[in-house]
Amino acid sequence: MSLPRAVYAELESVVGSRNISEKEYILAGNRAQTPEIPFPHRSADAIVLPGSTEQVAEIVRICNRHGVRYVGTVSGGIPTAYATEENTILIHFKRMNRILEINEKDRYAVVEPGVRHVQLYPEVRKRGLSYTAAAVGPGGSVLVNIACTGGDHHNQYGSSRPTRYLLGVEMVTPEGEILRTGSLEAGAGWFCPESAGPSLRGVVKGYSGNAGHIGIVTKCAIALDRCKGPAETRSEGVSPHSRIYMDGGCSRVYVFNYSSIQDVGRAMLALGESEVGATVQKYFYLPLSLMMTASANEFWEKWGRFREAFPMPLVVHLAPHSVRELEYEEKILFDVIRETGGVRLPRDLEKWWEEHMDYFMIVSRLQSVLRLGGSWLPIKTGGESVRHLCDIGDSISGFIHDFTDTGKIFDAPQNYQIIPMEYGHFASFELLFMWDRLDPNSFRYMQEFCTVSRETDLKNHAHSMTAGGYGKAGEALGRLYCNCHLWAGRIREAFDPSFTMDA
Amino acid sequence: MTLLYPETAADVREIILAARRSGKGIVPVSSGPPHFHGASVNPEADTLDLSRMKRVMDIDRRSRFIRVEPGVTFGELLPQAAEQGLRLNHPFLPRPSKSAVASALEQEAVLIPKYQYDYPDPLLTVETVFGTGDIFRTGSAAGPGTYEENTSDKVIPWGPGPFDYYRFLTAAQGTIGVVTWATLKAEIAPSASRLFFIGSVFPELLLDLAGRLLLDRVPDECVILDRNAFAMAFAEAGREDEFRTAAAPWMLLCRVCGYDRYPEERVEIYSGYVKDACAAFGLTAETEPAIPAAPAEIERMLTDCDRRETYWKLKRGAERELLTLVPPSKAAGVLAEMTNSFPEAGFVVSPQVQGRAFRIECDLFLEDTASQTAAADEALFSLAGRLVPLGAYFDRPYGRLPELLYRDPLALDAMKRLKSIFDPDGILNPGKLCF
Repeated sequence: MSLPRAVYAELESVVGSRNISEKEYILAGNRAQTPEIPFPHRSADAIVLPGSTEQVAEIVRICNRHGVRYVGTVSGGIPTAYATEENTILIHFKRMNRILEINEKDRYAVVEPGVRHVQLYPEVRKRGLSYTAAAVGPGGSVLVNIACTGGDHHNQYGSSRPTRYLLGVEMVTPEGEILRTGSLEAGAGWFCPESAGPSLRGVVKGYSGNAGHIGIVTKCAIALDRCKGPAETRSEGVSPHSRIYMDGGCSRVYVFNYSSIQDVGRAMLALGESEVGATVQKYFYLPLSLMMTASANEFWEKWGRFREAFPMPLVVHLAPHSVRELEYEEKILFDVIRETGGVRLPRDLEKWWEEHMDYFMIVSRLQSVLRLGGSWLPIKTGGESVRHLCDIGDSISGFIHDFTDTGKIFDAPQNYQIIPMEYGHFASFELLFMWDRLDPNSFRYMQEFCTVSRETDLKNHAHSMTAGGYGKAGEALGRLYCNCHLWAGRIREAFDPSFTMDA
Repeated sequence: MTLLYPETAADVREIILAARRSGKGIVPVSSGPPHFHGASVNPEADTLDLSRMKRVMDIDRRSRFIRVEPGVTFGELLPQAAEQGLRLNHPFLPRPSKSAVASALEQEAVLIPKYQYDYPDPLLTVETVFGTGDIFRTGSAAGPGTYEENTSDKVIPWGPGPFDYYRFLTAAQGTIGVVTWATLKAEIAPSASRLFFIGSVFPELLLDLAGRLLLDRVPDECVILDRNAFAMAFAEAGREDEFRTAAAPWMLLCRVCGYDRYPEERVEIYSGYVKDACAAFGLTAETEPAIPAAPAEIERMLTDCDRRETYWKLKRGAERELLTLVPPSKAAGVLAEMTNSFPEAGFVVSPQVQGRAFRIECDLFLEDTASQTAAADEALFSLAGRLVPLGAYFDRPYGRLPELLYRDPLALDAMKRLKSIFDPDGILNPGKLCF
């Protein structure tokens, strides 16, 4: 079904004829194609490319007038970034890709939605600064990661979750108005996210993001930190054989293997108490093995050794200010590792990290995780104390072997990550599993696994994930989380009374 | 005006439901007197005094948090935290009767900016009774299950789900809900430390130095004082002039710390960073400045509340203050306008959120007469009006400051929509802020 001609013409008058299309080959390129979702997504009826906040507001008002649904999208990395119903247009932000400001004195950057990590990160890094780039790879939208979706940063141990770094926001409301939040609403610039009073920042994003349901964020400021390690990096080679180094005497990576997640947790907490390390993380060994190999064949060749060598790897990047401090940090690190029973990886394996320091910046090899061609899904994507998340990690062995030992999912039972933040005050969790999507039963197995995982956590009253969603969709979990689905529904209704934004 | 003294969240709920039926407003108050900002003063409302809700529910060293009810004061809590090897990220020299929960909810300036990642920090999770009478828990305290069933430490502040409910409660002056407990982030108490005094005639130099040090996450406590505030804060009664004369016009107090492992070594290394940074600015970091007080006593006071008989801000009988938040690029200009306007005032400049902003506090120390305080209120409001175009942001708008805010009709409308969800009858602190 195509849009009524009059609606198309109105939209065209806003963005110009070059920035709107309903051609099939254009629409086909903007359908969800993520392999983990084994059913086709429909096409949008048109796609428009606004160039400014004002154009976005005008598009939203046109949609409201004519009852057309709309979805904002940039990278298309999540299923909600696509049309799911008839009579829907995609608002694509590829033209709104400007870095509007990098303010070194006040330590923030202002970006539009189309700005990718690969665009912003080098700009701030060369100024000696950094930010918490959610671990989505270099093609991800900075604004979407920080303002609109959940997302944790693999290196947030010495900083925090990206949500802490969202500052002033400009957004187009579902009614087509341009709303500014924080200090911006008082005309005091971008630096503070909080309103003077009940903060509208709370509407923009919670633990998870709103994925555009409460408005389309068209500009936001993000806070900047000092970069860990030298501002200059050195690269050589061509992907997938490229190398990126942090030279100098104050950057060093160590990787240890553990046999108990509780011991990993003790190490994380002890290092955090001493504020030692720029990155401390228990990473998933399956994606890591994929990232450490250049092809599927190489992966299968080495997977046996890797799964023996580091089923529970603790990755530590030290990046202090001086050689003396590096020695001090190493002394504490090795004390902690000794006390907690960690075993250092063989040098040939540990060296991989030193040659791929991009891992500690924007995790730029992440796409190789998809190399095996199966489907994958992250679950238990919640946050809590290190202690609690280690208990959740322990509980996985109670049910996962029924699936890994029978081939229903990939045999990698320890494939979860725990990433501390704020020096171990809390952490994020993610259990990532993969399955063979060519197996006709695989979708059912995936659903069974998700159900067992969730039931285990609910039986233990473990906070492995936040609740989410509105109304009926969020009711099942919301009832167990202080009826938050009802409050979320009321907020959504207050800001989007006609529910025109895609749900 | 009626005084109500709930002891449990259920009591608070009953009171709110009764208020909804009667239409009579209520205003929560947690701290003991004196009250400085007037947020808890409302002639249109009954006072909901939470001072009897005094349980210290949890002090957890492993996960570094403290959970308390709103009646627990800094005077009571700081020693209990210290017994467990923990400390709170509290404001500069707070009064002992100040509620630790209220301080966090009000987003008071913290003294250790390296531990503060955004403005509500160190507030983590809360239980609240909304103006509807519903009891709600924020972040990971929400669930799954009841408070008792939920096996987590209840420390993740965000959510539940796609909204940050705790941000609706901070700086809201009790207009959205009544908080019945809060989880606060706690930090490891240092095993060794060194306090540096860095003096200068030029406050802008100290602002830049603080920013430089915090970019590298060097200091723990970090605050800039002018000589008036320094004297009023640290001198024994009657010796303020002596302190004022001896102190540098502006002073950055900056403490470096070592924790459980090799603490002295960390202090040495980080002292070197402080000295190097000072040298780059042409400044000197002293540990034994020429002031009539033992540095150890200053350090002790800096890490505690003011336990003296008379609170430091009230030595002359009364005090009026103006609080503002500025980004680093605006701090020098705003501070210059403030000091030019009130050269006799005391100034406390607290770097916040890792040094990405400064909270500036202008303290007028007054005799307790109606004429003096009224004149001070008027003069400070006038000053606030002059500061707005210079980039000052009044994110904690007490008294008449709301008159300078809420000029964006869309943002105002959005805040009113929020208010109507959580307090549909407008019974919580009616008339405050923009409500």
